[in-house]
Amino acid sequence: MERIGIRQEALSRGSVFRLWIRRYRIWLAGLVLLIGLPFLLSGIFGEPVESGWPRFLQGLLIRVYLMAVYALSYDLLMGYTGILSFGHALFFGGGAYVIGILLKHFQTPLLVALLAVILFALGISGLVGALSLRVRGVYLAMVTLALAQAAFILSEAADFRQYTGAEDGLQGIPVPAWLDPAEHRLRFYYLTLFFILGAYFLARRLVNSPTGRVWAALRENEERAVALGYSPFAFRLLAFMFSGMLAALAGALNALLNKNATPSLLSVNTTIQALLMTLVGGVGTLSGPMFGAGLLELAGYLFNRAFGPLWFLLFGLFYVIVVLAFPHGLAGAWQQARALHRGPSRGSAP
Amino acid sequence: MRGTWPLILILFALIGLPAIFLPMSVWASVMLSGLTLAALFFLVASGLSLIFGLMDVINFAHGTLFMLGAYIGWTVYQNPRLLLNVAPLFLALGAGIGFGRVTAGALSVPRAISGFGLVGFGALAFWNHNLGKLVAFGSTVPGGAIPTPLAQEPLGLVFARMAAMGLAGLCGGWRMGGTRSEDRYRSWGMSAGLLLLGILMLSGRELIERWILESPGDLRFLLAVLAGTLAGGALGAWMEATLIRPLYARPIYQVLLTLGLSYVGVELVRVVWGPGNYTPLPRPSLFAMPCLASSIGEWLSQGCASLNVLGRPFPTYRLLIIGVGVAMWAGIGLLLRWTRIGIAVRAAVEDREMVEALGIPVRRLFTGVFAMGSALAALGGVVATPFLGLSPAMGLEFLLQAFIAVIIGGMGHYGGAAMGAFLVGLARAFGDYLVTVGIALPGMAEAIHFSPAIARASTVLIMAAILLLRPSGLFGQKTG
Repeated sequence: MERIGIRQEALSRGSVFRLWIRRYRIWLAGLVLLIGLPFLLSGIFGEPVESGWPRFLQGLLIRVYLMAVYALSYDLLMGYTGILSFGHALFFGGGAYVIGILLKHFQTPLLVALLAVILFALGISGLVGALSLRVRGVYLAMVTLALAQAAFILSEAADFRQYTGAEDGLQGIPVPAWLDPAEHRLRFYYLTLFFILGAYFLARRLVNSPTGRVWAALRENEERAVALGYSPFAFRLLAFMFSGMLAALAGALNALLNKNATPSLLSVNTTIQALLMTLVGGVGTLSGPMFGAGLLELAGYLFNRAFGPLWFLLFGLFYVIVVLAFPHGLAGAWQQARALHRGPSRGSAP
Repeated sequence: MRGTWPLILILFALIGLPAIFLPMSVWASVMLSGLTLAALFFLVASGLSLIFGLMDVINFAHGTLFMLGAYIGWTVYQNPRLLLNVAPLFLALGAGIGFGRVTAGALSVPRAISGFGLVGFGALAFWNHNLGKLVAFGSTVPGGAIPTPLAQEPLGLVFARMAAMGLAGLCGGWRMGGTRSEDRYRSWGMSAGLLLLGILMLSGRELIERWILESPGDLRFLLAVLAGTLAGGALGAWMEATLIRPLYARPIYQVLLTLGLSYVGVELVRVVWGPGNYTPLPRPSLFAMPCLASSIGEWLSQGCASLNVLGRPFPTYRLLIIGVGVAMWAGIGLLLRWTRIGIAVRAAVEDREMVEALGIPVRRLFTGVFAMGSALAALGGVVATPFLGLSPAMGLEFLLQAFIAVIIGGMGHYGGAAMGAFLVGLARAFGDYLVTVGIALPGMAEAIHFSPAIARASTVLIMAAILLLRPSGLFGQKTG
């Protein structure tokens, strides 16, 4: 009720708008940049928007956006609610498989299929949450990993070959012609841009809401939150379901982009990707993991071309180094170094 | 005792019910298959559970140790030249890290220099390294695909690589920072030992290779088991001492680290040994003859590959796996029960601070238990190779089943891990039996058939049931 405060209430409507613009000017500039980026790229390379380098770079950016939402959803669990889940690949890959199976074998309309992905994600993340929240901490990590591995085994099982394609994965998912990323990549680019913005604002809004405060309270001091009358189970389950939904939608769009869904999406590697993106960007910052996703996707693409299969080993070693040496992510390490540089009085304790 | 009633119910469901409904011979062979799997699961789960009980670390890389043990054992048996040319590089790395950490305090090398040194020397050591020739279809055969002298690089070059790797380790050690002063002499000694071992292996590579390849199969198998187990133990000790120890203050990062190590292990195996599966090792002579023994005496005298159990043939090699599992279960149980070290471990599981206050070096205990658990997992891996073969996915597969076993038994409880492994093994065996025979529900014309993957995945259902009924496991008190 009193949120706006007296001083701002006195201001006229127009100046509030101007204040708002000034406050978020960096973000707004970034938004304008992202919207115009395909055309900017086509200007730089001197090629039409829908072909050549601009088209290829759009594809890379789409992938970055989707992984950014995936990282964001993981940060909601790990950073904001303090749940260490090792089963996040289950949601991402699950979303990809659900939309793939519905589009390919049941000819479902796209919107219905997306709705089904959301319902599926809420159901499966509710189930995983309900089971794994019976235990805590590192123990929960173990249970979630076991559940995700079971899904991985099922995705490779020969019994469902006619639906899932077993170890070859689900190939050739029919994407509606008006959204086909091969034909209309620009449309797909704006769809994913809209998706990442929507996901970010939804997550930011939720984190700043009373629910988000309870999540933080549970992370910081569970006994106290319980004493205040909040049910840890219910709030953590909510976090699981919201995070699972975002991850599944990102996975579904990823399946539309690649027109396939493979068992590797459900494997532990996908979970490690989420972990690394979150750790690199900084745990519990929402935007940090998204930048981490961008960095890793672009670096991953370049290194993959340079090193081939050896890249995966280097990726793992990089992950180990980040965990050992940069507990606050690269951004956190940079901030710390800057604080130390400015003077010992501002040097923050790790 | 806690958990008696659910346990009796589950045991009845897994042993009693099938005994009533199945013919005796089928029941016996399914039970024996279940015990075989249970023995392997136990070898992984027991270490996992002991490590968690003592130091609250869930080692996600435990399955990887199982797999590395298997790969190293296989390599000693089939392709020693790969190991003799590659292992010295890693021994030099370990030695370098040791020397670096001991001298870090005195030298205080700038971090930027040591960082570049680590990456630079590491890249230099593997510059243009031709692993493909060393791996060469997986095995060394006398006069085989690529003769040994052609596959190997000249001795001088490998020594140069070893030196580069040692320097990389030195830089890494400087970055990691110093060891405690009382550990100093031990660090010097261990690093020097590693270096010496590497140099010896490399200089004697032709001799050692010929000796291994010309030895009888049984001796080679024994060597493989020893090498795999020791390598697993050493790797575990090294992991605990250098990677996990700095993170005891940050338990979440410990778990993140071990998960990363499991990933690195799988990728390392893919790079070194290739992504494909390997066929099982030849069995030792006692289990190798193609005959069907009708009694245990006949098997022992003739060395038959299978034994007649109530009219159905059962591979004798699996009896060895069961034997190893039971022996380790009893041996470690006795060790924990009666020796001073075992008593210290059990006491430290209960109350670590108190034990430390009594003057027992708990840190050293940690390293020891970590090494022992890793060695057990690696032993399981080597023993499993003649039965299962090798694949880069085997580590995670066994880790999953071991997780389910410890969740059933309760984390940190030794007997619980054994019971959990027993239950998961039996459930898997009956699952495998059911999916191959098919499940016929009343009113259906044909039975439904599944693939074994369904049986593998459905063990998760047991875990789910236990989590719902008794989240701390059948015996456990600790839920982390």
